Amino acid sequence: MNRAQLWSIAACLAASGYVHADLYVQGYRALPAIGPAFLLQASGSFALALLLMAGAPALFRWLAAAPAGGALVAFVLSRTTGLFGFTGQGLRPAPQAVVSVLAEILVLVLLAAPFVNRCLDREWKQDVTDTDVTRVRISRWWAS
Amino acid sequence: MTHLRRRPEDMTRRQLVRHTAWFGAAVVLTVIGGEVISHVDGTPAPAADPAADSNVLRFVQVSDSHLGFNGPANTAVEASFGRALERINALPERPAFVMHTGDLTHTSTPAQFDQVRQMLSEVKTGHVLTVPGEHDTIDDHAGRNYRQMFGAGTAGDGWYSFDVLGVHFISLVNTLSLHKLGHLGVDQLEFVRKDVARLSPDTPIVVFSHIPLFAMYPAWGWGTDDAAQALNYLRGFASVTCLNGHVHQLFTKTEGNVTFHSAASTAFPLSAPGAPAQSVVTLPAGKLGDALGIRNVTYRPGNPGLAVKEVTLA
Repeated sequence: MNRAQLWSIAACLAASGYVHADLYVQGYRALPAIGPAFLLQASGSFALALLLMAGAPALFRWLAAAPAGGALVAFVLSRTTGLFGFTGQGLRPAPQAVVSVLAEILVLVLLAAPFVNRCLDREWKQDVTDTDVTRVRISRWWAS
Repeated sequence: MTHLRRRPEDMTRRQLVRHTAWFGAAVVLTVIGGEVISHVDGTPAPAADPAADSNVLRFVQVSDSHLGFNGPANTAVEASFGRALERINALPERPAFVMHTGDLTHTSTPAQFDQVRQMLSEVKTGHVLTVPGEHDTIDDHAGRNYRQMFGAGTAGDGWYSFDVLGVHFISLVNTLSLHKLGHLGVDQLEFVRKDVARLSPDTPIVVFSHIPLFAMYPAWGWGTDDAAQALNYLRGFASVTCLNGHVHQLFTKTEGNVTFHSAASTAFPLSAPGAPAQSVVTLPAGKLGDALGIRNVTYRPGNPGLAVKEVTLA
């Protein structure tokens, strides 16, 4: 993973953390369970963003998936089944909900990108090998 | 003798120390971040005595006491309401006023109104204020009994506004013309428009109502059909806080400049939105107090909004 990708992950994490911190301060602090969860998400995201930029080990990139993925799951739950008695509607409050969801999706996409790339690369190489074997077989048959 | 050989993928001691240090840094930064964020709004630290500042506005919201209710969810609503009042009287600083956001009684009988007024008279506060809930106007849709008891100094069907320490308060009645959702009506909307027209945009505004002014769960009637018009009049103000009851559970939501806070009841909880049906929730013994509560609100001049603290009756 190059530096640009790493810094992009850190920026998106910080954006998600900022939105959660802002909502916490604006009044979500009063919600039982949800308030502390917002605070933990915000402070954890800021800490991870800072450490990623400071050159933390590769494991910390995967830790970044926790606040991003956790927040996304919590958002979906709050719009469907409810979460600790808390329910929200649509992409509100605007624009915080949209900014946060986009930032968290981007974090997960950026984290998954190298892994997906590697898988595609391996598949392509396998395809090339299979094609080579077929070509050799055809030429042998032609020669015989 | 067996020699334990280190495989190339094993972690060296130095790597282990480095990883531990990174994790330590993550924990420390998370804790520091949490501390900083939780103090951003200027919530006073426990060491600093907020009581010492006479410019600080404090008031308490209680809601949905339902005096007269008797069911398995709470067989002693009067005792629960009494406990809520004790909590208020035990506050370190006397609140400027106590606001009851409706459903003072369960079936709006004169005896229930009398009992609730008597109990409220024991609260150590400057004023006791109320807005009616739909249970306060049962069989009396004009709310005459309620207004006889609590309607002094109000306009129209019981709405009013007042100012304390630079904060403008508006108490609205959205339970009298109730269909499925709460309703304010043309006269009350006109009252809001005229009431706020004279205020400067930096005046903090607090709006009390029984039914939420936002669409918390319209399927159960948890919203007010013409609230958008009222909120439109408040759009130009820097800080607007709407405090309501009715839903018997804590809920907070921010839309632009407006923050909505639904309050817990002092009597019994209701099911959360999304449940199969709206119903009174009966909790296991010993758990009811956690679901009931009062709300302590503080405003410091110069701060962008109000600090809201929930206190349970556990």
